[in-house]
Amino acid sequence: MNIRKVVLAQSLLVAAFAVPSFAADDEALKKDLTAVIALQGLPCGEVVAVTMQAESDYAVSCKDNNKYRVYMNAEGRVVVEKRK
Amino acid sequence: MRTLVVLAAAITFGTWGCATRTPDTPVSPPVVATQPVPPPAVKPVTPAPRTASKPATPAAKTPAPTARAPKPAAPRVAVAVPAGPSTLDLNALKERLKATKAIGVMTKISLKNKVDDLMDQFRLYYQGRSKVTMTELRQSYNLLMMKVLSLLQDDDPPLASAIVSSREAIWALLANPTSFATLQS
Repeated sequence: MNIRKVVLAQSLLVAAFAVPSFAADDEALKKDLTAVIALQGLPCGEVVAVTMQAESDYAVSCKDNNKYRVYMNAEGRVVVEKRK
Repeated sequence: MRTLVVLAAAITFGTWGCATRTPDTPVSPPVVATQPVPPPAVKPVTPAPRTASKPATPAAKTPAPTARAPKPAAPRVAVAVPAGPSTLDLNALKERLKATKAIGVMTKISLKNKVDDLMDQFRLYYQGRSKVTMTELRQSYNLLMMKVLSLLQDDDPPLASAIVSSREAIWALLANPTSFATLQS
Protein backbone atom coordinates (compact mmCIF):
# COMPACT_ATOMS: atom_id res chain seq x y z
CA MET A 1 0.00 0.00 0.00
CA ASN A 2 2.78 2.35 0.94
CA ILE A 3 4.63 1.60 -2.24
CA ARG A 4 1.49 2.32 -4.22
CA LYS A 5 1.19 5.72 -2.57
CA VAL A 6 4.81 6.54 -3.27
CA VAL A 7 4.47 5.55 -6.92
CA LEU A 8 1.31 7.62 -7.26
CA ALA A 9 2.95 10.64 -5.66
CA GLN A 10 6.00 10.29 -7.91
CA SER A 11 3.97 10.05 -11.08
CA LEU A 12 1.90 13.05 -10.06
CA LEU A 13 5.08 14.99 -9.40
CA VAL A 14 6.50 14.06 -12.79
CA ALA A 15 3.24 15.04 -14.48
CA ALA A 16 3.17 18.33 -12.62
CA PHE A 17 6.59 19.22 -14.01
CA ALA A 18 6.06 17.83 -17.50
CA VAL A 19 2.70 19.34 -18.40
CA PRO A 20 3.58 23.00 -17.91
CA SER A 21 6.73 22.67 -19.99
CA PHE A 22 4.72 21.15 -22.86
CA ALA A 23 2.25 23.99 -22.50
CA ALA A 24 5.05 26.53 -22.57
CA ASP A 25 6.52 24.93 -25.71
CA ASP A 26 3.13 25.02 -27.32
CA GLU A 27 2.70 28.69 -26.51
CA ALA A 28 6.15 29.48 -27.84
CA LEU A 29 5.36 27.67 -31.08
CA LYS A 30 2.10 29.57 -31.46
CA LYS A 31 3.90 32.83 -30.88
CA ASP A 32 6.59 31.86 -33.38
CA LEU A 33 4.04 30.99 -36.06
CA THR A 34 2.03 34.14 -35.34
CA ALA A 35 5.18 36.16 -36.01
CA VAL A 36 5.93 34.23 -39.22
CA ILE A 37 2.44 34.87 -40.59
CA ALA A 38 2.63 38.54 -39.63
CA LEU A 39 6.03 38.84 -41.33
CA GLN A 40 4.42 37.65 -44.56
CA GLY A 41 1.83 40.38 -44.16
CA LEU A 42 -1.07 37.94 -43.87
CA PRO A 43 -4.05 38.39 -41.56
CA CYS A 44 -4.25 36.18 -38.53
CA GLY A 45 -4.32 38.11 -35.30
CA GLU A 46 -3.03 35.28 -33.22
CA VAL A 47 -2.46 31.58 -33.74
CA VAL A 48 -4.87 29.62 -31.56
CA ALA A 49 -4.25 26.05 -32.72
CA VAL A 50 -1.34 24.24 -34.31
CA THR A 51 -1.06 20.75 -35.73
CA MET A 52 2.32 19.47 -36.71
CA GLN A 53 2.09 17.64 -40.04
CA ALA A 54 5.76 16.90 -40.50
CA GLU A 55 9.02 18.42 -39.39
CA SER A 56 8.83 22.18 -39.98
CA ASP A 57 5.36 21.79 -41.44
CA TYR A 58 2.38 23.08 -39.48
CA ALA A 59 -1.34 23.46 -39.99
CA VAL A 60 -2.37 26.59 -38.21
CA SER A 61 -5.69 28.11 -37.16
CA CYS A 62 -5.92 31.79 -36.33
CA LYS A 63 -8.11 33.74 -33.98
CA ASP A 64 -9.77 35.48 -36.92
CA ASN A 65 -10.66 32.05 -38.40
CA ASN A 66 -8.02 32.14 -41.11
CA LYS A 67 -6.21 28.86 -41.61
CA TYR A 68 -2.70 28.46 -42.98
CA ARG A 69 -0.08 25.90 -43.72
CA VAL A 70 3.32 27.11 -42.59
CA TYR A 71 6.27 25.08 -43.77
CA MET A 72 9.85 25.21 -44.92
CA ASN A 73 10.34 24.32 -48.56
CA ALA A 74 13.27 22.54 -50.17
CA GLU A 75 15.12 25.84 -50.73
CA GLY A 76 15.00 26.63 -47.05
CA ARG A 77 12.34 29.31 -47.37
CA VAL A 78 9.49 29.58 -44.93
CA VAL A 79 6.23 29.50 -46.88
CA VAL A 80 2.77 30.44 -45.64
CA GLU A 81 -0.11 29.05 -47.67
CA LYS A 82 -3.74 29.78 -47.09
CA ARG A 83 -5.90 26.72 -46.35
CA LYS A 84 -9.63 26.37 -46.71
CA MET B 1 -4.50 10.24 2.23
CA ARG B 2 -4.90 9.48 -1.45
CA THR B 3 -7.47 12.25 -1.81
CA LEU B 4 -5.05 14.64 -0.20
CA VAL B 5 -2.37 13.85 -2.77
CA VAL B 6 -4.84 14.22 -5.61
CA LEU B 7 -5.99 17.55 -4.22
CA ALA B 8 -2.45 18.82 -3.97
CA ALA B 9 -1.80 17.77 -7.53
CA ALA B 10 -4.91 19.53 -8.73
CA ILE B 11 -3.78 22.73 -7.09
CA THR B 12 -0.36 22.51 -8.65
CA PHE B 13 -1.85 21.90 -12.08
CA GLY B 14 -4.15 24.84 -11.64
CA THR B 15 -1.52 27.34 -10.67
CA TRP B 16 1.00 26.16 -13.26
CA GLY B 17 -1.62 26.46 -15.91
CA CYS B 18 -2.13 30.07 -14.93
CA ALA B 19 1.56 30.71 -14.71
CA THR B 20 2.19 29.53 -18.23
CA ARG B 21 -0.58 31.61 -19.64
CA THR B 22 0.39 34.96 -18.25
CA PRO B 23 3.57 35.62 -20.22
CA ASP B 24 2.06 35.33 -23.65
CA THR B 25 1.37 38.93 -24.39
CA PRO B 26 2.62 39.20 -27.93
CA VAL B 27 2.44 42.95 -28.16
CA SER B 28 3.44 44.42 -31.36
CA PRO B 29 1.14 47.34 -32.10
CA PRO B 30 2.32 50.03 -29.70
CA VAL B 31 5.88 49.12 -30.35
CA VAL B 32 6.51 50.72 -33.67
CA ALA B 33 5.95 54.19 -32.38
CA THR B 34 8.64 53.90 -29.75
CA GLN B 35 11.67 53.50 -31.96
CA PRO B 36 12.36 56.45 -34.07
CA VAL B 37 15.97 57.34 -33.55
CA PRO B 38 19.01 56.41 -35.51
CA PRO B 39 21.11 59.50 -34.75
CA PRO B 40 23.60 58.04 -32.23
CA ALA B 41 25.35 56.17 -35.00
CA VAL B 42 25.84 59.33 -37.00
CA LYS B 43 27.04 61.51 -34.16
CA PRO B 44 30.48 60.09 -33.50
CA VAL B 45 31.51 60.69 -37.08
CA THR B 46 31.40 64.46 -37.10
CA PRO B 47 32.99 66.41 -34.32
CA ALA B 48 36.52 65.52 -33.32
CA PRO B 49 38.80 65.79 -36.36
CA ARG B 50 37.31 68.93 -37.86
CA THR B 51 37.52 71.15 -34.84
CA ALA B 52 41.03 70.06 -34.14
CA SER B 53 42.38 70.85 -37.57
CA LYS B 54 40.33 73.88 -38.61
CA PRO B 55 39.42 76.27 -35.92
CA ALA B 56 38.43 79.23 -38.08
CA THR B 57 36.17 78.00 -40.87
CA PRO B 58 32.67 79.21 -40.26
CA ALA B 59 31.21 77.75 -43.45
CA ALA B 60 32.23 74.21 -42.62
CA LYS B 61 30.56 74.22 -39.25
CA THR B 62 26.99 73.38 -40.04
CA PRO B 63 26.44 70.96 -42.91
CA ALA B 64 28.08 67.91 -44.47
CA PRO B 65 30.25 65.90 -42.13
CA THR B 66 32.42 63.42 -43.97
CA ALA B 67 33.00 65.04 -47.34
CA ARG B 68 34.87 68.07 -46.07
CA ALA B 69 36.87 66.47 -43.35
CA PRO B 70 39.67 65.05 -45.50
CA LYS B 71 40.83 68.44 -46.83
CA PRO B 72 42.82 69.98 -44.04
CA ALA B 73 45.19 67.78 -42.17
CA ALA B 74 44.31 64.22 -41.36
CA PRO B 75 42.60 62.28 -44.12
CA ARG B 76 43.36 59.00 -42.39
CA VAL B 77 41.15 59.76 -39.46
CA ALA B 78 38.36 60.97 -41.67
CA VAL B 79 38.37 57.78 -43.69
CA ALA B 80 38.54 55.49 -40.72
CA VAL B 81 35.66 56.94 -38.77
CA PRO B 82 32.69 56.66 -41.10
CA ALA B 83 33.38 53.06 -42.04
CA GLY B 84 32.73 51.68 -38.59
CA PRO B 85 31.21 53.58 -35.74
CA SER B 86 31.95 51.89 -32.47
CA THR B 87 28.41 50.54 -32.22
CA LEU B 88 28.72 48.21 -35.18
CA ASP B 89 30.00 44.70 -34.84
CA LEU B 90 28.19 42.87 -37.56
CA ASN B 91 29.31 39.38 -36.62
CA ALA B 92 28.44 39.87 -32.98
CA LEU B 93 25.01 41.13 -33.94
CA LYS B 94 24.54 38.11 -36.18
CA GLU B 95 25.47 35.77 -33.38
CA ARG B 96 23.20 37.54 -30.93
CA LEU B 97 20.32 37.32 -33.37
CA LYS B 98 20.95 33.62 -33.82
CA ALA B 99 21.11 33.08 -30.10
CA THR B 100 18.23 35.21 -28.89
CA LYS B 101 15.23 33.44 -27.47
CA ALA B 102 12.96 36.37 -28.23
CA ILE B 103 12.42 35.02 -31.73
CA GLY B 104 11.34 31.49 -32.62
CA VAL B 105 13.16 29.29 -35.10
CA MET B 106 10.64 29.64 -37.92
CA THR B 107 10.61 33.42 -37.47
CA LYS B 108 14.40 33.51 -37.60
CA ILE B 109 14.42 31.54 -40.84
CA SER B 110 11.71 33.77 -42.25
CA LEU B 111 13.70 36.87 -41.31
CA LYS B 112 16.81 35.42 -42.89
CA ASN B 113 14.83 34.86 -46.09
CA LYS B 114 13.87 38.51 -46.05
CA VAL B 115 17.44 39.65 -45.44
CA ASP B 116 18.62 37.46 -48.33
CA ASP B 117 15.92 38.95 -50.57
CA LEU B 118 17.06 42.46 -49.70
CA MET B 119 20.68 41.56 -50.36
CA ASP B 120 19.63 40.19 -53.77
CA GLN B 121 17.90 43.47 -54.52
CA PHE B 122 21.10 45.36 -53.67
CA ARG B 123 23.17 43.01 -55.80
CA LEU B 124 20.90 43.53 -58.80
CA TYR B 125 20.94 47.26 -58.19
CA TYR B 126 24.72 47.44 -58.23
CA GLN B 127 24.84 45.24 -61.30
CA GLY B 128 22.52 47.70 -63.03
CA ARG B 129 19.92 45.00 -63.57
CA SER B 130 17.25 46.45 -61.30
CA LYS B 131 14.60 49.09 -61.71
CA VAL B 132 14.52 49.69 -58.00
CA THR B 133 15.94 53.01 -56.80
CA MET B 134 18.20 53.55 -53.81
CA THR B 135 15.32 55.32 -52.08
CA GLU B 136 13.15 52.25 -52.47
CA LEU B 137 15.96 50.07 -51.17
CA ARG B 138 16.21 52.33 -48.16
CA GLN B 139 12.49 51.96 -47.57
CA SER B 140 12.74 48.18 -47.75
CA TYR B 141 15.66 48.28 -45.36
CA ASN B 142 13.76 50.48 -42.91
CA LEU B 143 10.75 48.22 -43.06
CA LEU B 144 12.82 45.13 -42.40
CA MET B 145 14.53 46.85 -39.48
CA MET B 146 11.15 47.77 -38.03
CA LYS B 147 10.04 44.15 -38.28
CA VAL B 148 13.14 42.90 -36.56
CA LEU B 149 12.88 45.51 -33.83
CA SER B 150 9.21 44.89 -33.22
CA LEU B 151 10.02 41.23 -32.70
CA LEU B 152 12.87 41.95 -30.32
CA GLN B 153 12.05 44.97 -28.27
CA ASP B 154 9.77 43.32 -25.75
CA ASP B 155 11.74 40.17 -25.08
CA ASP B 156 15.32 41.21 -25.82
CA PRO B 157 15.58 44.99 -25.36
CA PRO B 158 19.41 45.08 -25.20
CA LEU B 159 19.68 43.44 -28.61
CA ALA B 160 16.96 45.71 -29.98
CA SER B 161 18.80 48.81 -28.86
CA ALA B 162 22.10 47.44 -30.18
CA ILE B 163 20.44 47.07 -33.55
CA VAL B 164 18.90 50.53 -33.38
CA SER B 165 22.26 52.08 -32.72
CA SER B 166 23.88 50.08 -35.54
CA ARG B 167 21.14 50.84 -37.98
CA GLU B 168 22.79 53.71 -39.84
CA ALA B 169 26.15 52.01 -39.85
CA ILE B 170 24.68 48.89 -41.44
CA TRP B 171 22.93 51.06 -44.00
CA ALA B 172 26.23 52.77 -44.75
CA LEU B 173 27.74 49.38 -45.53
CA LEU B 174 24.88 48.43 -47.81
CA ALA B 175 24.66 51.75 -49.60
CA ASN B 176 28.29 51.74 -50.60
CA PRO B 177 29.05 49.35 -53.51
CA THR B 178 32.57 48.69 -52.28
CA SER B 179 31.64 47.78 -48.74
CA PHE B 180 28.66 45.84 -50.04
CA ALA B 181 31.00 43.78 -52.18
CA THR B 182 33.11 42.96 -49.14
CA LEU B 183 29.97 41.88 -47.29
CA GLN B 184 29.25 39.43 -50.06
CA SER B 185 32.62 37.76 -49.97
